[in-house]
Amino acid sequence: MRYLLLSSCLFLLAGCSSVYKNLQPATGDINVLQKFKPNFKSVLYKAEIDVVGHHLSGLLLIKTLPDSTIRMVFATETGFKFFDFAFSPDGGFRVLYVVRQMDKKAVIKTLGKDFELILLPPADYKSAYLRKDDSSLYYIFPRPKGTFCYITDLKSTEMKLMEISSPHKPIVRAIAKDDGNGVPDTIGISHKNFNFTIGLKKIDR
Amino acid sequence: MSLVISGITAIAQPAGYAPVADLPKFKAQFAAVATKTETIKSDFVQEKNLSMLSEKIVSKGKFWFKKESMLRMEYNTPFQYLMILNKGNMYIKDGQKENKVSTTSSKLFNQINKIIIDCVQGSVFDSPDFITKAYENKNTYLIELSPASKALKEFFKTIDVIIDKSNYEASSIEMNENSGDNTIIRFTNKEINANIPDAIFIIK
Repeated sequence: MRYLLLSSCLFLLAGCSSVYKNLQPATGDINVLQKFKPNFKSVLYKAEIDVVGHHLSGLLLIKTLPDSTIRMVFATETGFKFFDFAFSPDGGFRVLYVVRQMDKKAVIKTLGKDFELILLPPADYKSAYLRKDDSSLYYIFPRPKGTFCYITDLKSTEMKLMEISSPHKPIVRAIAKDDGNGVPDTIGISHKNFNFTIGLKKIDR
Repeated sequence: MSLVISGITAIAQPAGYAPVADLPKFKAQFAAVATKTETIKSDFVQEKNLSMLSEKIVSKGKFWFKKESMLRMEYNTPFQYLMILNKGNMYIKDGQKENKVSTTSSKLFNQINKIIIDCVQGSVFDSPDFITKAYENKNTYLIELSPASKALKEFFKTIDVIIDKSNYEASSIEMNENSGDNTIIRFTNKEINANIPDAIFIIK
């Protein structure tokens, strides 16, 4: 059932018109957003994933390799590995390992997209544009399946919210609270179409 | 031909170890100590090694075992996590969240956790889930468990249990994955047959 829901979610992402079209045009440097790119040199998180009534807890290690690839390894507290994902600097996503029980296309795509959202798109993203309203600036990155949007204050000093939107509405929302050194201390990702949340809390080692 | 075979054997056996010279004697002594071991209370250090990332995740905690098949592992550094196995049922407390898992709903997960029980209570040689081989060096024995089932083979290449020759007790368990990653649990400050109340294994 949950895989059906995940598939439905991905289907809804297909489309390219924007939920942000009624915002006011804005000008500025889209690459300003890069200053919010998290510094995942090697960070360990306590992770909790809730999917349609199923609770999964474990440890998520996020590490940037010398070639700037970001690896994410999720394992239980007892050492049992669930997945190992790689995100390349050009936006590529590879699955290096996934436990058979999680090896479903919809699950992997959803997790990959969620994590891509918090990693932020690469600089000089060609079709990116800016919008604004009275209190916020919207950095909008149209993608083949769903639009990534990063909402900051008008001076882009604070990241308020990250979103993935269908043509009609935001379907994933994420927040990241910085620890003061460019490393997110807490990260929350929440799907609006069905009960799927990811919560990460940094562990001091 | 014999040179080729001995070469293969040399590659297959763990570095620094040779096959146990007197296997029946070792099994008998190991079983005798295991039979007398009613409880184990210990500290543990767990090391998850991610080989390709050159990273290790180290966690520490307390370990309690009581016959038959009762296990409590309480991780307290650098995170809080409690796992209780009691006769096939599992309880997990993760922060404020509690989770009970029955053998029927998560057979594989229980099978994996039961490995630790089999190792410490000495029933590894009888486990149908593994093909076992025994090796030794000057100070330790190494029992190498190779998964027999396809399901377990997906997760583990081998599981190595290190047995101290001085007392025939398991000093560490090393779970080796096909990827080259592994998880090592080392036991320290062990107390054998200390009084451990059943209450700490109760799954409410």
